[in-house]
Amino acid sequence: MPGNARRSIGVRAPILFISAIAWMMLLVNPGSMIALIHCPVTTSWASPMSFKMLVEMNPLSSLAEGWALMLVAMMAPTLTAPVRYILERSFKRRRARSVALFFIGYGAVWMVAGAVLLSTELLLSLLAPRSLLPAIMVGVVAFVWQCAPAKQRCLNRGHNHYALAAFGLDADLDVFRFGMKHGVWCVGSCWALMLFPMLLPVGHFAGMAAVTFQVVSERLEQPRPPDWRLRGPVKLVRILVQQARMGIQGTITGSAVLPTALNPRR
Amino acid sequence: MATYTRNNAWNNGGTFDNHDLLWYAKGVAAMMALPLDNPNSWWFFAAIHGEEIALTAFPGWGFLPSPPAVPTTPLPAQNVKTTYWNQCQHQSWYFPPWHRGYLIALESEIRAAVIKAGGPATWALPYWNYFGPNNQYQIPPAFTVRTLPDGTPNPLFVTARYGPNSDGNIFIPIPPVSQACMNNDLYTGTDAATPRPGFGGPKTGFSHGGRTSGNLESNPHNQVHVDVGGNAPTGSDYGLMSDPGIAALDPIFYIHHANIDRMWAAWNAAGHANPTDPKWLNGPAASGGRKFIMPMAVGAAFPNPWVYTPSDVNSLSKLNYTYDNLVPAVKATPAANLLTQRLTRLGAALAAPAPAGVPMDSGDNSELVGAHQGALSITSSGARATVKLDGVVRKKVAASLTAASVAHPPDHAYLQLENVRGTQDAHKLSVYINEHLAGTVGLFGLRTASLQDGPHGGEGLTFELDITPIIDALHLANGLDVDSLDVRIVPNHAIAAGTSLTVGRVSIYRQSF
Ligand SMILES: [Cu+2]
Repeated sequence: MPGNARRSIGVRAPILFISAIAWMMLLVNPGSMIALIHCPVTTSWASPMSFKMLVEMNPLSSLAEGWALMLVAMMAPTLTAPVRYILERSFKRRRARSVALFFIGYGAVWMVAGAVLLSTELLLSLLAPRSLLPAIMVGVVAFVWQCAPAKQRCLNRGHNHYALAAFGLDADLDVFRFGMKHGVWCVGSCWALMLFPMLLPVGHFAGMAAVTFQVVSERLEQPRPPDWRLRGPVKLVRILVQQARMGIQGTITGSAVLPTALNPRR
Repeated sequence: MATYTRNNAWNNGGTFDNHDLLWYAKGVAAMMALPLDNPNSWWFFAAIHGEEIALTAFPGWGFLPSPPAVPTTPLPAQNVKTTYWNQCQHQSWYFPPWHRGYLIALESEIRAAVIKAGGPATWALPYWNYFGPNNQYQIPPAFTVRTLPDGTPNPLFVTARYGPNSDGNIFIPIPPVSQACMNNDLYTGTDAATPRPGFGGPKTGFSHGGRTSGNLESNPHNQVHVDVGGNAPTGSDYGLMSDPGIAALDPIFYIHHANIDRMWAAWNAAGHANPTDPKWLNGPAASGGRKFIMPMAVGAAFPNPWVYTPSDVNSLSKLNYTYDNLVPAVKATPAANLLTQRLTRLGAALAAPAPAGVPMDSGDNSELVGAHQGALSITSSGARATVKLDGVVRKKVAASLTAASVAHPPDHAYLQLENVRGTQDAHKLSVYINEHLAGTVGLFGLRTASLQDGPHGGEGLTFELDITPIIDALHLANGLDVDSLDVRIVPNHAIAAGTSLTVGRVSIYRQSF
């Protein structure tokens, strides 16, 4: 048939692969997750002493590592569109470097955000150790943010792609800046959702999976006017339902079904 | 034999002596008499295409010059709006089928009104073939007179329709408007006869505004929109047809789109195939996107509402209508012949002409060759850009042209105007490379594509021009062995003060095979 094209630059598969590896590492070694390791001292009452112990038990480097791993696992699947855009608009020999710089810019913003979010987490778990209260509080904040017009604004901005210089330092700076801007809107739309599973005393992993589902879904949604509304993972659910339906049809008719999800265009 | 035949709007001189137009006018008047929240109203249908009802300044629907007197109330329920409004598919391979269904639905409404008024039961939309002989490049006169033969106001007349020279003289300048797309042989994709992204448009999901238009959409569709709409003689307002959020308020809209639909049908009639990809056939709803849905008049041969997919509308016979003329004005040259001609021009030693075959998409193997550094602001006098070429990639292009053969077809080359942003759609830009005209683009959809809360977060539009012939000529004149090319961008009329028009980057791409 006409249109049996050689695939354009393959982006989705490698990104999903990287994300899958991060998920596996988190599964194999749950210690690297952000769920804090508590001990009897820190669970009783807040004091400078217990704070010190808490920090000692969760050294910064391992916190940063765990956070970075979480980011890769949860956020990588949302980055196919900007990565494809960068590949298309860069010289072939610069492509790897451009994407790397985008990731550095994007990651830097999230690491800074992580410092704030993790401090909040440490503080909350100190004030109310092993309690559901912090999770509930953050859950409420996350829910309100999820419905707010500001959230929609961040989501919409995340669809923007900027003109990129092709040559020299300007090219490097442009992709780096693109990564930072994309990171800012990404943090803006996801910060509360990211904080929530971190505070769950149990079911941390399931919480992360649920948040990822939501985040991937809302990025697949078209931008819309900012307003108050419930933003659930409607799009991804619809895609999966359609896939399942077509899968059944495909089995009946014997035709191959292509995996389509996770990419709204192309 | 189809029940309904769409005929040329220029029959009987394009006046109300053409009864298709007279009944159209009566039907439009009947639809205009219905309120905004009535799904059978003129206003509701315009909103299905796209609306700007909430805007508090032009092009907000409350700020358009009358006639027509456009209502902004009463609004339908929110779920009705999200189901029906702002559906039009642009910069997408869904552009032709979505608009086909839209025409069928509008036609059913008009026909119902025509029948009610005692008109013919087989009434069908006329089409405006601006490529027709004599003065058919002009708007049919029935759209410009103030009154109907019976002395009542003519609903086909609208104030905000200014034409290519912003003086109220409505015609289509040919060239640059052309039917070159009819020579394409791929709906989506590229080969020797088909520049990117293909006749029908690029593969996308639900696309209420996107990045790059298909070739039929780009020219003639987009250009005709901004030529008809044009700019107001004073100030920064523009014609209804110039902007997708107000375009379908102008009755000429559907007559224009009937011609675009006819061109698609003629393209099929010439033996060119529509996509068979299930993602096209089943529409965006099958991939989790919105569905194509239209209100239908009572008595139409379709359910109300009518939910459709491209596979429901990919041939006229499924829909029981046809056109009086489906013969393309220009006989298409087969891709193989075009390749042979090009190879001969490039001086390749050909043992035999390129063999004819089934049109095949050669895939999108493209690579950046060079770009202009920094954004360009387009003023009334235009803008100039130095597109710096990368030495290594430039040599690849030259090598491909030098060593071209049937087995190794020469590169195609494209010029891109990327991240074009602005506040006003009613412009066309002509682009010159080293003073050779590379092509003209109409900025239909620009304002919406530049909105931060618009379909792509304000990334703007990207225009693509096939500059293969220019690159070939430069190569043959030893003019390709240079560090940069000079690109000049010229708007077709003055950029009004207070409006902005910028190009994020001008770039050149090679596409290898
Ligand atoms: Cu149109």
